[in-house]
Amino acid sequence: MSLYPSYARPRSLQQAVDLLSGLQGGVVVIAGGQEILPSVNYGVLMPDVYVDIGGIEELIGISSVGDELVMGALTVHRDIQGHADVQRLAPLLAQSVSAMGGGWQVHNRGTIGGNIVAMHPLYDIAPSLLALQADIELIDAAGTRRLSFADLLADSSHGLGTKAILTRVFVTASPQSSWGYYKLKNTSGAYGSANAAAVLETEGEILTAIRVVIGAAADQLTLVSDALAGLTGAAYDAAAGAEIERICAQAIGTPLSDHQGDGTWRRAMAGVVARRAVEAALLPATGPDS
Amino acid sequence: MEDLLEQSALVQWRIDGELHELEVVPGASLLDVLREQVGKTGTHMGCRTGHCGACTVMIDGAVAKSCIAMAATLPRATITTIEGLTAADGTMHPIQQAFWDAAGLQCGFCAPGILLSTAELLQTNPAPNDAEIDAALAGTLCRCTGYQSIRRAVGEACVRMYPDAAGE
Repeated sequence: MSLYPSYARPRSLQQAVDLLSGLQGGVVVIAGGQEILPSVNYGVLMPDVYVDIGGIEELIGISSVGDELVMGALTVHRDIQGHADVQRLAPLLAQSVSAMGGGWQVHNRGTIGGNIVAMHPLYDIAPSLLALQADIELIDAAGTRRLSFADLLADSSHGLGTKAILTRVFVTASPQSSWGYYKLKNTSGAYGSANAAAVLETEGEILTAIRVVIGAAADQLTLVSDALAGLTGAAYDAAAGAEIERICAQAIGTPLSDHQGDGTWRRAMAGVVARRAVEAALLPATGPDS
Repeated sequence: MEDLLEQSALVQWRIDGELHELEVVPGASLLDVLREQVGKTGTHMGCRTGHCGACTVMIDGAVAKSCIAMAATLPRATITTIEGLTAADGTMHPIQQAFWDAAGLQCGFCAPGILLSTAELLQTNPAPNDAEIDAALAGTLCRCTGYQSIRRAVGEACVRMYPDAAGE
């Protein structure tokens, strides 16, 4: 804790990694600052050192290799929303990034990497990344490693600590699957009270695979897949919808209870958003406001 | 590697057309530097959490909340504040004039967010529908809750900036 923090702006990824490996506690890695500055402004976070990685060009940008979408960690939300490769390979991600709160001001500055490492339970991108079985890449003094987003979530230090930097996010398209995202929120700029991302596979009318991730209802994401297996092998109908609602509400261990809504209601809404995300996946694309 | 650490950062910003070279403290927000070091008090401090949007400026042509942008992370930038919308001779920007004439704002505290977000919207969309206006303005809260008159004023601004596109 220091009233007089210091600041460094490394020019390359290697320089940043070397710097972080030599620094002791009180270090904050910053780029867009959308997550960090509110805490700094209110004295909740008082870093000794800011390491500004915003000038590292290799962390910015979107590309695709075959069916794999590759996004640099410092790519801002606004660039993800409208990017042709994201629309083609991971439209679910494009929609959930568009559903984020904070308005254009935040979408223009906030980065996908910052959103991921913040691990805020109310945020919009994580449910889609887990539903799409995304991978992430980290770098630290030991080198670069790639792991699944699910493994990152399971690690309480986010797999990062203060020595590693998240560098890239990978999503592999699955052309035969359909998708839906549903966010329940009070106002257009706000956090969700519950949100869900659904990825389905179908043969004709018949559901063959279903994977739902619920966010904003508990302090961790809730993946519901095996418990929904009983719904495969048949067409979706109102009874199946009711069953999704029941199973997904039940899957929420300890619901959040905060100013977004109390726990009983949040658990119930977890079921509702799950059903609506599945229904959105089954309907023909109706545009970004669906 | 520790020799990279500095106690302050030097930034070069073109603010509303004028070049400034400033020494900023790590952790200071763009909002604080604009208001306290540059005197651009048209940029309002509402919440310091990034919720309200009253501190909105444009950084390199894109709207941003200056209270949650760390000044040091912007070594070189072009910054447009609400004051920069007005021409040097005092003539209001067509968006400002439209909001004036259509009584788009009530107390005006949120004006930086509403007007600069409208400016970014109209750069690429000459005739936005209500949903597009709402999405562009979602990052700014009007505590007078005058959202209907804000929408009307955005429509009026479209007519003035793009007389040929309106009404299509």
